[in-house]
Amino acid sequence: MSNPILKVENLHVNFNTYAGTVQAIRDVSFDLNEGETLAIVGESGSGKSVTTKTLMGLNAKNASIPDNSRLLFKDRNLLDLKESEWQSVRGNEIAMIFQDPMTSLDPTMKIGMQIAEPLIKHRQMKKEDALARALELMKGVGIPNAEGHINDYPHQWSGGMRQRAVVAIALAADPEILIADEPTTALDVTIQAQILNLMKDLQKETGSSIIFITHDLGVVAGMANRVAVMYAGKIVEYGTVDEIFFNPQHPYTWGLLNSMPTTDTQVGSLEAIPGTPPDLLMPPKGDAFASRNVYALAIDSKEEPPFFRVSDTHYAATWLLDERAPKVTPPLQIQKRWARWQEIQGQEA
Amino acid sequence: MWKYILKRLLLLIFTLFLVITVTFFLMQIMPGTPFNNPKLTPEALAQLKTTYGLDLPLWQQYLNYLIGAAHGDFGTSFQYQNQPVSMLIGQRLPVSAQLGAQALVVGVIAGLFMGAASARNKNNKIDGTLGVISTLGISIPSFILGIVLVYVFGFKWPLFPVSGWGDSFSQTILPTIALAVSPAAVTTRFVRSEMIESLGSDYVQLAKAKGLSAKEIVNQHAYRNSMIPVLTLIGPMAAGLLTGSTLIEQIFSIPGIGQQFVLSIPSKDFPVIMGTTIVYSAMLMVMILITDILTAIIDPRVRLQ
Ligand SMILES: Nc1ncnc2c1ncn2[C@@H]1O[C@H](COP(=O)(O)OP(=O)(O)OP(=O)(O)O)[C@@H](O)[C@H]1O
Ligand SMILES: [Mg+2]
Repeated sequence: MSNPILKVENLHVNFNTYAGTVQAIRDVSFDLNEGETLAIVGESGSGKSVTTKTLMGLNAKNASIPDNSRLLFKDRNLLDLKESEWQSVRGNEIAMIFQDPMTSLDPTMKIGMQIAEPLIKHRQMKKEDALARALELMKGVGIPNAEGHINDYPHQWSGGMRQRAVVAIALAADPEILIADEPTTALDVTIQAQILNLMKDLQKETGSSIIFITHDLGVVAGMANRVAVMYAGKIVEYGTVDEIFFNPQHPYTWGLLNSMPTTDTQVGSLEAIPGTPPDLLMPPKGDAFASRNVYALAIDSKEEPPFFRVSDTHYAATWLLDERAPKVTPPLQIQKRWARWQEIQGQEA
Repeated sequence: MWKYILKRLLLLIFTLFLVITVTFFLMQIMPGTPFNNPKLTPEALAQLKTTYGLDLPLWQQYLNYLIGAAHGDFGTSFQYQNQPVSMLIGQRLPVSAQLGAQALVVGVIAGLFMGAASARNKNNKIDGTLGVISTLGISIPSFILGIVLVYVFGFKWPLFPVSGWGDSFSQTILPTIALAVSPAAVTTRFVRSEMIESLGSDYVQLAKAKGLSAKEIVNQHAYRNSMIPVLTLIGPMAAGLLTGSTLIEQIFSIPGIGQQFVLSIPSKDFPVIMGTTIVYSAMLMVMILITDILTAIIDPRVRLQ
């Protein structure tokens, strides 16, 4: 299982703007294992999308990445690739599912053709063969009566059906890594569940690895094997789903869990984390979360916390884990949630 | 589709009827008379008025005109004696139509290329230069351009003939350019902004994520999406060409309806003025109808109803 297909090492991404340099990604490292789903969660602006765009070589023109950053995939550093080499990675070895199905399909091109395009490009297929394969893919993502709809245009389809087409496009060339950047936020709840189930089923068939971006921890539990929590351009905690949900160590993770909507409103509050993320033009010294952290220690404003090991798979960057730190227990609200989850699990078992 | 076209054609006929009515009565307000030769005796004048039916009461003249128009008879010219207006226009219309069509095709095609080049080089020198050119192209009236072209290529470096029509294709070059500049400039600006929008769209982002090259993205996605809206410009551009051509035909001595129109006004040649106005309106409406039909054929999102 823990056989990394992608290693991200010391990734930094800066954006040059008129106001100065935005340090959007500040030293991010993580592995993606073969066949797993890694969820990246975090508030808006924490750098999730910039991370995924970097993995596709699709960052904005004003982005700059220092030389010591590395994206190791199949014995090469993707950051060394020329544009033409990137083109043979994109949509082929690493593919992406976009957020908004209403705008991500070309309104003037037949859907079948849009699914066939990556095959024509990467598999050098003839148009007819690619369209035949597109039809299979349409069936595979659950489009009813696919034969009758292969020549449809996007405006003839609902949002949920279009997102299925977007999934089919991403899967067309059978990529090793699938990146899904909030693939369901634009859809209503029942359709969301359908698309997520579809992705899980397809992953079982193809064995591809998924990087799943979301700011909704609620979907993470059912989708991911592991979770990385991002804050202000850094990963602050990562571990297996169980570790993040039942044994979170970083106060920011506590805050995220606390703001997670539950079906049961009596348990837990639907509170957003108070305060706002720091300005990435001038990231603060020390722990970037300190100013919003009720458990902040004196050292937080002076020195950046390193990763402390919780288990072989679980690490968190907070001074609270230092042996000299006072012992704190997670807030009451979270403890209530755990009790409730355990109850539910007990009922289900 | 056919039902829609039929509906539009009926609407077109109704609009033409309104155009005829309004022009007919406006014509009565126009001061002066077509027969202003001081040598005409009152008897001869009365004689002329009877010949042309101008002695009848106004409502009867109007009815006669309508009935005639419905049969394709637009009266006889006062100026060119005994020449039916339909024949005068019939001879000249193909000339004007050719000039207009050439200018439109050249202008739109040039605009498509320049607009796309501008968008793909956004904010650099190429874009800046094309921006200046298109601003000039929009703001300089075509007749001034025509005069400049006549001076430069007719007298300074006599490369092209500067007058006449029908003897050689080279005669059409300068007037076509003079007329094409404005549609080219309008199309350039329009395509530029459409293309920039398209290149920043989510579907282009997805096309990049598919691994397509910049060239493939432009050819397979951005071009079609930014060209469809250009169709909506063709109607207004055709209107601009109609008015532009009246002066251009004068400058280059082209025997088109524009020239005839201009000549017919000072001589108060009512039937010719009326006939030309009707032809202009009809051409414009047909152009708009054609672009609407084309849009429906090319743009999958548009349905005619
Ligand atoms: N081209 C750019 N120029 C300048 N700053 C940028 C650029 N792209 C992203 N940023 C900044 O980088 C930071 C991270 O943005 P990113 O889009 O990755 O956030 P996110 O975690 O995906 O948020 P969301 O949940 O809202 O999608 C933000 O502060 C954003 O303003
Ligand atoms: Mg994002």
